[in-house]
Order: sequence, then structure tokens, then C-alpha cells
Amino acid sequence: MTATIGYLAILFAALSSLALTVQGFRGMRNPARATVAKLQWPVYGLVGGAVLAMIALEVGILNDDFSIAYIANNSATTTPFIFKVASAWAALEGSIVLWGLVLAVFVYTVYRGVARRSGPDLLGSGALAVMGIVSLYFFVLMATVSNPFSICAQPASIGCLEAGHWPWADSLAALEGRGPNPLLQNHILMAVHPPMLYVGYVGMTVPFAFAMAALMLGASGTEWLLRTRTWTLIAWSFLTAGIVLGGLWSYEVLGWGGYWAWDPVENASFMPWLIATAFLHSSVVQARRGMLQAWNFVLVIATFALTILGTFLTRSGVITSVHSFTQSPIGPALLWFLMVVLVASFGLFAARAHLVASSPRLDSLASREGAFLLNNLLLTVFAFVVLTGTLYPMFVEAFSGAQVGVGRPFFDRLAIPLAFGLLLAMGLGPITPYRSARPDIVWQRIRNPLRVALGAAALAVVLGYRTPWLLAFILAAVFVISVIARNLFVNARTMATKRQMSFPAGALRVMRNDPGYWGGQISHLGVAVLAIGIAFSANLSVATDITLTPGSTESVAGFDITYVSSFTRQESTRFVSGALVEVAKNGKVVSNLEPRLNQYPTSTQSVATPEVDASWNGDLYLSLKSIDARQVTLGVFWFPFIWLVWVGGFVAAAAVVWSRLVKKPSGERLTETRASRDG
Amino acid sequence: MDNRARTLIGWAVTVVLAAVVVVGLVMGDSAPQDRVEALGSRIKCPVCQGEAIGDSPSETSAAMMEIVAEKVAAGETDAQIISYFTARYGDGILLDPPFAGRTLLVWLLPVVAVAGGIGMILSRRRPPVNTART
Repeated sequence: MTATIGYLAILFAALSSLALTVQGFRGMRNPARATVAKLQWPVYGLVGGAVLAMIALEVGILNDDFSIAYIANNSATTTPFIFKVASAWAALEGSIVLWGLVLAVFVYTVYRGVARRSGPDLLGSGALAVMGIVSLYFFVLMATVSNPFSICAQPASIGCLEAGHWPWADSLAALEGRGPNPLLQNHILMAVHPPMLYVGYVGMTVPFAFAMAALMLGASGTEWLLRTRTWTLIAWSFLTAGIVLGGLWSYEVLGWGGYWAWDPVENASFMPWLIATAFLHSSVVQARRGMLQAWNFVLVIATFALTILGTFLTRSGVITSVHSFTQSPIGPALLWFLMVVLVASFGLFAARAHLVASSPRLDSLASREGAFLLNNLLLTVFAFVVLTGTLYPMFVEAFSGAQVGVGRPFFDRLAIPLAFGLLLAMGLGPITPYRSARPDIVWQRIRNPLRVALGAAALAVVLGYRTPWLLAFILAAVFVISVIARNLFVNARTMATKRQMSFPAGALRVMRNDPGYWGGQISHLGVAVLAIGIAFSANLSVATDITLTPGSTESVAGFDITYVSSFTRQESTRFVSGALVEVAKNGKVVSNLEPRLNQYPTSTQSVATPEVDASWNGDLYLSLKSIDARQVTLGVFWFPFIWLVWVGGFVAAAAVVWSRLVKKPSGERLTETRASRDG
Repeated sequence: MDNRARTLIGWAVTVVLAAVVVVGLVMGDSAPQDRVEALGSRIKCPVCQGEAIGDSPSETSAAMMEIVAEKVAAGETDAQIISYFTARYGDGILLDPPFAGRTLLVWLLPVVAVAGGIGMILSRRRPPVNTART
């Protein structure tokens, strides 16, 4: 019954998407038809169907309805409540349901924007039509090759062996479900990380849809950019947070002692992030200077295509990695969709580029535009490097059958100089005037930030940090931070004098006058902090394996690590075996850690859970590699200042709140606001 | 204090700080990197999924790391050790693609991308005649 309702909801959402596409295009062609009433019912139908499908899936999971194959294979009666809820999107078919739901919500918000406007909204109608096509694709996917409501035709003692497509056919329920992948039910972050990433991925559909509509209408100008700015920023913010959370999950759960491995699935989320970041910056150039109109279309199409490519890489099992836990016919379906998206959107772009290309040219490379161009060049090359490195082994294997490996050393070698260049552009950009920069003005603005940065690097040298790349990154990142601080200081002082207010009030007023710009600067601050954190952990981490017998001690990175005893215990959902480890520094016990191996009843593989002693200057990280009656082997890691990575990442993501939620003080003149940017 | 003196002090501070950084870099511990660890990060664990033998907890990786350690202790060069593994497992065992043969392209493509990008930016510049301020 649940399965039937869920399946019908999916069909209903698919039909509503089709209706939305038809009505949207009709509205775009004929202004008289672009009425809100025509679009209203398809939108409501889509949202209703998507919500109902998700509810049906959750109800089935919470009721342990093992007659549904997906539930029999991804949940169990013993699964804790929160992981049951999360298992609705923990595997392939369910994750597409979540995708559809998120997309439906975005369609609704776009529709609300269209409905609020007076008069016919050709651009908005066209965008809704494009979103209708995308949503039609995903709901048809759910109704065909990726059906979350397939019934179980042949149950096993645990889980389901064979699924039958039609939910109303006779089903046989398994007695017990297989439960979620142990890696996924080992940590709460797994309930949060995928939805965030999906909001990021799916949100990129909005600027893409508006861009397509603008191309179809031959509408040049910034309307599509400015109308989608909020969605782009929200999607970017969630994508950023999702990637950082993924790193945190990898660090907290996988126990290999790191947070980023250039795994193809990590790359799959990083590539759209890089291009979306390039787009955020180049759209500023178009809004301010009218340049890069055509380039912005290219970037927005590329971002959307990369989100589909990312889904393909993650969900098709085409690359083997820790994340690719599924194999299914969805792979070819996604690949075809990717091809259609690329051909249709770039074809449309090629046909209409002459209508939307901008004429203003660059006055001088030494200008704010020049810095933005450098940023775009570095970000797109970065994305290209990640794309090449990720796909290259697959292409070589497909065409020659030979296996080649492209892994972490390759990416590190190219990513480090690119990231360094990006930091430099990030520091120089905000103090370089638009159009053309006179060297004396630039020097006058950078000399103090440069001194602060040199001071920080000199301090690092004195403290004993002498690794070249670490010093280079400290120099560049502190330069970025002090440029931001200088700009705020100079503008706040002027504001305070002019308006007779206190300095902090002046600073706040400056930041509220131009929330878009200052939100961006807060984000830059986060990225700079993140860069320092990565530089420390990449250059000064200590990693080693030690084998200890009970009572024995070994020293790593200044810590005395003593293996006290082993322990085992039965928890509600898992069997835990672990080691009790005492950590001392300078003869004083600082913590007792319990790195563990968790064994889940529904799986043969055991999952290591590392334990971390976090302090202000770094994390001591213990992961249990093996344990038996005589001895224990521990992976011991020291990550200096790793918290900078998490804090910086979340500041970068959360900065969007400032740029979108802060209201400008009333009566402020725009010209004054703009002037403050160049100050 | 007059402006001239302030400028001079500013420069002096800048130069001294820069000197400290440069001296630190020159004297810097060029991190006598553990060769075993470095090699371990370049070789892929054949039974895992994209992990380096230095990172993977599997027994195969542990055994391969031991071979690496033995060979380093026996005084073999990095190239000798790498070719020992590629001879047995093929080029797919490397995480660090060599700048030759089948993987030459993966290094060249980013260079082409940079060159193309720079070319595109330069072609977007206004002809020099028009740059004069009006």
C-alpha cells in the first residue's frame, strides 16, 4: 500500500513536471499566456508529489516495511531512529527521491518569485519550463530504472534478493532488513552531509534554468544574473558546507587519518564548486562593468553539467572508490542526460551567443577586472585539472584497456600552486581599483597589509616553522586577511568621522551599506583561515603506526601513548571492541582515548572509529588498526591547528547569510556604497 | 616625526621582516622527508579502492610497505623501487603518473589550458591605442 502510494506520487510529480514545462514554454512564447494561474497547478502538483513520495518512503522505513526492496536492503528493525530517517537518502534510489524533493522546493521558490511580479514574466516562465524538464527527467528516472518503491519479489533471510518493479504486484516481505551500510550508520554527519550537498547541487539548476531562458529569449543584460543571485549564493553556500562536512565525516569516521584524499567522489563535488565560485566572481564583473556576458553563460552551463557529472560519477559505480557503493542501470541514464544537457545547452548558447555577447573590453590587466580574470583563469584551470585527473584513468582504460593511476600526488602537485595563486588574487583584488590601477595607489594600499603578512611569516619562522610552502601560504593568507581588515578600517574611520559616530558603529554601518560585498569579504576571510589550516596539516602532520602490548608506552609527536587494556562491549546496534589508551604530555595525563572497531550484525566488515583529543594547537588522532589478545596496532596522527580547516570552511559557507539577510540602512545612497568598495 | 622619516622606518620594517622570512627559508629544515613514507604515498594499494599503500590499513599494503622499507634500507633509488612495483603490477599501481608515455597527456593538458586561458584574456584587452585616458 505504502509502495503504491509512493509510486503514484512519483508518477503524479512526473506528470506535473511535464505540465509545468508545457505551460512554462507557452508562457514564454506568448506573454498573454504567461499567467500565474497557468503555472500554479503544475507547481503545486510537483511539490505535492515530491513531498508525498518522500513521506511514503519514510513511513515505509519507520514501519519496517520490508516488502519494499529498497527498505529491506537499506534499513533494519534494529537501526536507530535517526539513521532510519537518514537511510531514506543513504542509497541510490532514495537519494534520487531526495534530489526530486529538493528540486521541487526550488521550483516552488522560483514560482513564488514569478508570482510576485506584476505583468507577464517571460524569463521566469521560461526558467520554470527548463526546471520542469530537469524535474521530469528525475521523476521519470524514479519511475523506471531507479524505482525506490520496487517490491521485494524474493526475500532472503536478511534483505531482499530480487526486486519486482511494479509496487502493486504480489510481494514477499523479508523478515529482517539488511540495514544501512556500516560506514554510513557510524556517524551522525552522514544524515546531514548528503542533504546539504544536494541542496548545493540542485540549487545550481536555478541559475542554469534562467540562463537557458535568457538564451531562448535572446535577452542580453543582467536580469537573469541578478534575479538568480540569491539562489546561486544559497546553493554555493550549501555546496561549500557539504564539502567541508564531507571532509569532517571522512576525518571522524574513516580513520585513515585525513580529510581530503582527492577521491573521485570528493572531486565530483569539488569541480562544480570551483566553477560555481568562478561564476560568482565573474557575474560581479558583468553586473559592474558589463563584461564577460557570454563567459557567464559558459560557466553556469558548466556548473550545472558538472553537478550531473558528479551524480553520474558517484552513483554509477564507474569509478571504484569508498563512496561508490552501488551499481545500477542508472549509470547510462545519467550519462545520456549529461550528453543531452551539454549538447542542448551549448548548442543553444552557440546559436544565441551573438545576441548576448558583450562589447566592453578590458582597459588594463592591472585592474579589479584583471584580478577577477586571474581568479576565473585559476579557478577554471583548477577545475580542469581535477576533471582531467579524475576522468583520465577511465578514458585510458576505456580506449586502450591499460590501467593508469592518477592520484593524490598528481592533484597535490598542481593544486598547491593554483591555490597559492588564488590567494594572491584574493588579496590583490579588493585593493585594486576598477578600470585601471595606478601603481602608487596600489602600493599605498598594500604596504601595511604586506607588512602584517611579512610579520606573521617572520613570527612563524621565529617559532620554528620553516617549510617553504607553509610560509608561503601563511604570507598569502595573512595578506588576504589584513587587506580585508585594512579596507574595513579605512572605510569605517571615514564613515565615523563623517557621521559623528563611534568607530565600531561606523564599521557596522560600512558593512551594512554593502552586504553583498562584505559577505564576500567574510567568505574570503574564511577561505584564508581554511588555507592556513590546510597548509599546517599538509606540511606538519605526523603520521605513524605503533604496536603496543598492554602497559607499554611509546612517544609520538611529544605525546606518551600508553596502551592500558582492551575492552569489548555490546551496544544496541553493534559490537564494539576497542583499546583503552592513556595519553600523557610532559609526564601529565592529558586524556584517555578509546579508538574502536565497530562490528554491525548485518555486515561482515568492521568499521574503525578513531578517537581524537582536540586542543587549541592541534588534534591527537588515534585509530585502531588491529587488536588481538597480545597487542594492539594504532595509527597515531598529530594534526596541528586542524580546527582552522573546519572553522574557516564554515565561515566561508555561512558568510552568505550576511550578504543576503542583512538589510541596507534606509536612505543610503548607492553611489556612496559603491565608493566604499574602492576605498 | 615628518613624513620622510616615517616612510624610511616603514621601509626598514618591511626589509627586516622580509629578511627574517628569507633567512628562515634558506636555513629552513628542508624536511628530511621519510623516503619510505614518500614512496608509500605514490604507490596504490592494489586491493583497495584508490588508497595509497601508506594510508591503507590492509595487509597487502603493510606487506608492500615492508618491501619499500627493505629496499630503501638496501640503498635502492626511488626510481628503482618504483620500477620494481610497476614491473609487477603495471603502471596502474602508481598514484603519481609519470611524465611520459600514456600519462604524458594528463600533465600536458593543464599546461594547454593555462596557455589557452591566458591567450583568451590577452585577446580581450583593448588595443593599446585606446588605453590612453580620456
